[in-house]
Amino acid sequence: MENEIVLSVKGLSKQYKKGVYASQDVTFDIKKGEIFALIGPNGAGKTTTIRMIATLLTPTEGDALVGGHSVTEEPDKVRKCLTYLPDEAGAYKNMTGRKYLQFMADIYADNKSQAAEFVKRAEEICALGDRLDDKAESYSRGMIRKLLLARTIMPHPVVAILDEPTSGLDIINALEIRRMIRTLAADGMSFLLSSHNMLEIEYVSDRVGIIANGHLLETGAPKELLEKYGAQNLEEVFERVVKNNEVL
Amino acid sequence: MKFFSILKKELREMLNMQMILMLVFLVVVMYSMSGFVDSAIDESMEESAEIVLCDKDNTDFSKSVIRFIEHPTAETEADNEVKLITLESDDYAAELKRLDKKSFVIIPEGFTDKINNGEQAELIYVSKMTSFSTMSNMNAGSETAVAYIEAAVKSAIFTNKVQLGKLSENEVTQINSPITIKENTIVGDKSSEISQMILYSSVFGQTLLLPLVVYMLILLGSQSMINAVTAEKLDKTLETLLSAPVSRLSVLSAKMLAAAIVALINAAVYMVGMNNMTTAASGAVPEEYKKYAAELGISFGLKYYLLIGIQMLLSTIIALSLAMILGAFAKNVKSSQTLLMPILFLTIIPFMAAEFIDISSLPGAIKYLLYAIPFTHTFMASDTVTFSKTSLYVGGLIYQAVFLMVCVIAAIKIFTTDKIVTASENTSSRRKRKKHSDN
Repeated sequence: MENEIVLSVKGLSKQYKKGVYASQDVTFDIKKGEIFALIGPNGAGKTTTIRMIATLLTPTEGDALVGGHSVTEEPDKVRKCLTYLPDEAGAYKNMTGRKYLQFMADIYADNKSQAAEFVKRAEEICALGDRLDDKAESYSRGMIRKLLLARTIMPHPVVAILDEPTSGLDIINALEIRRMIRTLAADGMSFLLSSHNMLEIEYVSDRVGIIANGHLLETGAPKELLEKYGAQNLEEVFERVVKNNEVL
Repeated sequence: MKFFSILKKELREMLNMQMILMLVFLVVVMYSMSGFVDSAIDESMEESAEIVLCDKDNTDFSKSVIRFIEHPTAETEADNEVKLITLESDDYAAELKRLDKKSFVIIPEGFTDKINNGEQAELIYVSKMTSFSTMSNMNAGSETAVAYIEAAVKSAIFTNKVQLGKLSENEVTQINSPITIKENTIVGDKSSEISQMILYSSVFGQTLLLPLVVYMLILLGSQSMINAVTAEKLDKTLETLLSAPVSRLSVLSAKMLAAAIVALINAAVYMVGMNNMTTAASGAVPEEYKKYAAELGISFGLKYYLLIGIQMLLSTIIALSLAMILGAFAKNVKSSQTLLMPILFLTIIPFMAAEFIDISSLPGAIKYLLYAIPFTHTFMASDTVTFSKTSLYVGGLIYQAVFLMVCVIAAIKIFTTDKIVTASENTSSRRKRKKHSDN
């Protein structure tokens, strides 16, 4: 992991209506080759934060810099630096896996040869073989997730954002995807993950951010947090962090 | 017990809040429309039932015939109000315009003489065709007048001749068919000696088919669009696309353009199909009728299909744009079908109205209410093109173009803001967040 900061989130907030914050004053950084995970229960504000970074939602306050580009000022440049895999996402059912990869590669690539390179890379990552010539509607959930993960990785983004990357997958598929993320991070790709599965995150991530009720309450490496809170696992850390903040 | 539990669950799923709101909306719209429709139909019926006569014969017999129409002898029949008119010329189109009438019957000079001479007497029946809608082609008053006149003549012949004894062959023919009717149909400023009903029958298939095609085109198109947008939202392929290095306007314009191309293909295919069907159907129509129809300017040529095609294209694109906007608010496949209901209403109301009533002749409020529905102009297109209602056609086209622009602006607003991501999200979760933050 290098010290270069590739994602810098500063006081990011999203207010839907007056007084209704889905995410409030969220601040954290991600270094090159780092896997940072936002953990918290459903409705904690993870997806809203991620969507603001992915330029899908406009922040009410604050900003985020992706590869040095502001999500509020230069969203077009930000989109060239990151890829986003939404939670429970699907592919176009009428397309074959290969066509889907080609379609997405055409969007991310600057020219045809680069697009072909992206597709080749994605084909290797997803390892779906001949099934890539079948329509996506015939894929299992695990196959779809692998296809989409390959799509997310193929343009070699500065930051890949994965929302609940293994949700709904069986143990084997989930393990494969976690290994894939670790390997890619070792090659220098940065990841922002979100999950409510804290045990999984403990295994895969370098640092975590605990988010609840829209507030980022704590950040740190899993080991540091376990020591700091005298906990056995991240679930216990989460419980103690939330309780401490209620007291405060 | 188990069955009722399942039934209750099914009903709860089907009758969701969106569906109930739509039904309430439907009841309110239908209720408020019913008053307008009643008055419109009453007015149309009143106009159709009006008996307008011109007595050029001006004899005791013709006067007695008119009195007979006014006060039929049978006890079961009610009195009729007869409006007597005087014609200033033989230009029937101009006379109808001057008198502001839909039709009239002329008892020509020499009518009584012909009856007395044992000949068939001729009546002249003039009617104006302004629309292909069913009710606008009904002239109950003039039909009634002709029937009464025939009955009166038969009665007179019976009294004067049958009672006197043996009848000649001609006189028997005269009793069986005492009068002949010379019908004149007016379209715009043109007049032709053809029955309005025969003319209407010969184009009925054509005029019925077009609104059906428009109806299908709008509904099928918008349904497939709303399904596509909903699927893209639910599969989150839209989120993926919107976070990719491509502008949102490009995503939107590609969708709109694709929809327009599909609409264009649909419209072209339907128009070719319609043209073939019409050609086949018109083969059964006697050449003579076609000649009369052409004299009156009623022909379904290239210009007709082109003008109708433009209207169809605009309506389809509007429907697709509306479906795209509504699709952004769909929470699931079921709600997308409920969201389709406004388009369904906006289609079915002008469709039904145009089938039965000449919308342009309706009273102000309901007419403009119908004009406000962009699809109305396409359902009326067959009338506006055929009956040279140019200002209505062009006005409708301009209105549709403006409406389309508004839809495009709304779609841009939705696609370029957070709404495309948040529009379908359950507000209850936000309320919970607010509650929490308040605490």
